[in-house]
Amino acid sequence: MRRCVWLVAVALFVVIGAGVRRAGATMVVPASLDELAAGAVAIFHGRVADVQPRWEPGRRRIESFVAIEVVDYLKGNLGPLVVIRVPGGELGPYRSIVVGAPTLTPGDEVILFVGANGPSYPYVLGLDQGVFRVVRTNARQPSMVLPPPVASRTNAPGRVVRGDPQRRPPTLEAFVSQVRALVEQVAGGARAVGASR
Amino acid sequence: MIARKTLRGLAAWLALAYTVGVVSPVEGYLKFGTRIGDRIVSLRWNRIPVRYVVGDLGVVGVSADQLQGAVDRAFRTWEALETSDIRFEFAGVTSAAAVQGDGVSTLGFTNRPDLDRVLGQTSFFIDTRSGEILEADIFFNSAFQWSVAPGGEPDRFDLESVALHEIGHLLGLGHSAIGETELRPEGGRRVLAAGAVMFPIAFTAGNISARELKPDDMAGASDLYPNGALRGRTGSMSGRVTKNGGAVFGAHVIAFNLQTAALVAGFSVESDGGFTVGSLDPGVYIVRVEPIDDASVESFFSDAARVDVDFLVSYYERLVIVPGGGGTDRLEVKVTGK
Repeated sequence: MRRCVWLVAVALFVVIGAGVRRAGATMVVPASLDELAAGAVAIFHGRVADVQPRWEPGRRRIESFVAIEVVDYLKGNLGPLVVIRVPGGELGPYRSIVVGAPTLTPGDEVILFVGANGPSYPYVLGLDQGVFRVVRTNARQPSMVLPPPVASRTNAPGRVVRGDPQRRPPTLEAFVSQVRALVEQVAGGARAVGASR
Repeated sequence: MIARKTLRGLAAWLALAYTVGVVSPVEGYLKFGTRIGDRIVSLRWNRIPVRYVVGDLGVVGVSADQLQGAVDRAFRTWEALETSDIRFEFAGVTSAAAVQGDGVSTLGFTNRPDLDRVLGQTSFFIDTRSGEILEADIFFNSAFQWSVAPGGEPDRFDLESVALHEIGHLLGLGHSAIGETELRPEGGRRVLAAGAVMFPIAFTAGNISARELKPDDMAGASDLYPNGALRGRTGSMSGRVTKNGGAVFGAHVIAFNLQTAALVAGFSVESDGGFTVGSLDPGVYIVRVEPIDDASVESFFSDAARVDVDFLVSYYERLVIVPGGGGTDRLEVKVTGK
């Protein structure tokens, strides 16, 4: 009888696995780390210094202007203090929550992949996809970066399996090296394309 | 609870199956919350039916009337849940752009070429003193190609599917993640499978399967807006996730119903690693815990830096019986680091 229970359980899990249909349309198109690196106008490591929520001109929505003191640039250069625009924020008794937009607070240490259009404030690429947090647990441990990145140029193609023992938050140093390498690859590819034309 | 030492063997088998591709991964629903004093309150609408207006702009392939029709079908899909009391009311067509704070919830197309990876987006306007949702606006990015064809169209995104997801947010639901992605040999990343409409990044142009709610979506909506008459029929599961004796924050706790094969889950979001999964059908469950180490944790948690992703998949060592109208004993699921 007990054996039967296990067989049924296993069978049902398999049925569920097979029954999940491919895809399901939702909010964002997923980006790999190399796509983010290629698409970013600038990539930098820094610390959030200030967050100022305001009504957008025309009072149509609340947005927050986030000032970041840059520690290091991995791509591009927007100066030592970058102000980005993030949708949402809190003013008085009201809060505007924009699903998928990153929540940044003073003191946060982050690596940001940002885009920009014309003479406007930069924005985080792919909403939250362009935000990587630097986590410091204690002085004896190296800083780690969260989430563990998924990059098609440096990971083997195939399913991204949760709980994979190989996918751990990288150290800040390792992550920075990985991003620099991706930026260099992208730049090298662009140069090669340019030379062939 | 049913003690089953041999469940460890099953767990090992399932873990292996999971790794080699037989079983698709699962996650659970989240509710948006706001802190009021020393407690967290779920965001929800107090004024029901929720009234909404639809923009009068169409895009190539989708007229304004078709936009309204797709949005209406998506609202009706959520409304059809018999375990939930949520109701909506169409309040007309508008040519005005969405404005936060005007009390009008507006859905429509907006051209946002700068958000080149964002198909649609929901923004709430809430009262921080009560957690009441006052208004929610949804835009569909007209920088993309859209379709409302009954069977979908290649290379065009299905408007009804995206509307169903965004309306889930409008209800107060956060992201679920019953799905998985893959890295393509030619570069980039794409979604392989999704088992929840509220999966944050699931997408393939032309696919229409996300027009149907899944058990995890249904449980979330029923948890937020329970049908009083049916409330006693469902139960809940609670416990905590620990690693080396300490609390684990942000772990996915997945409940698999052995009778119905439904997958519903929650997250360990309490300071002691505690979790609660509500609106479960009574029955016998297998409990699996996994890290969110394959996607952006920002998509799930505002305090993403606290999320622990450094542990292996684990199963609770016993089968769990969820009673109708009640809750389980408090479970402790122990995980080990990678």
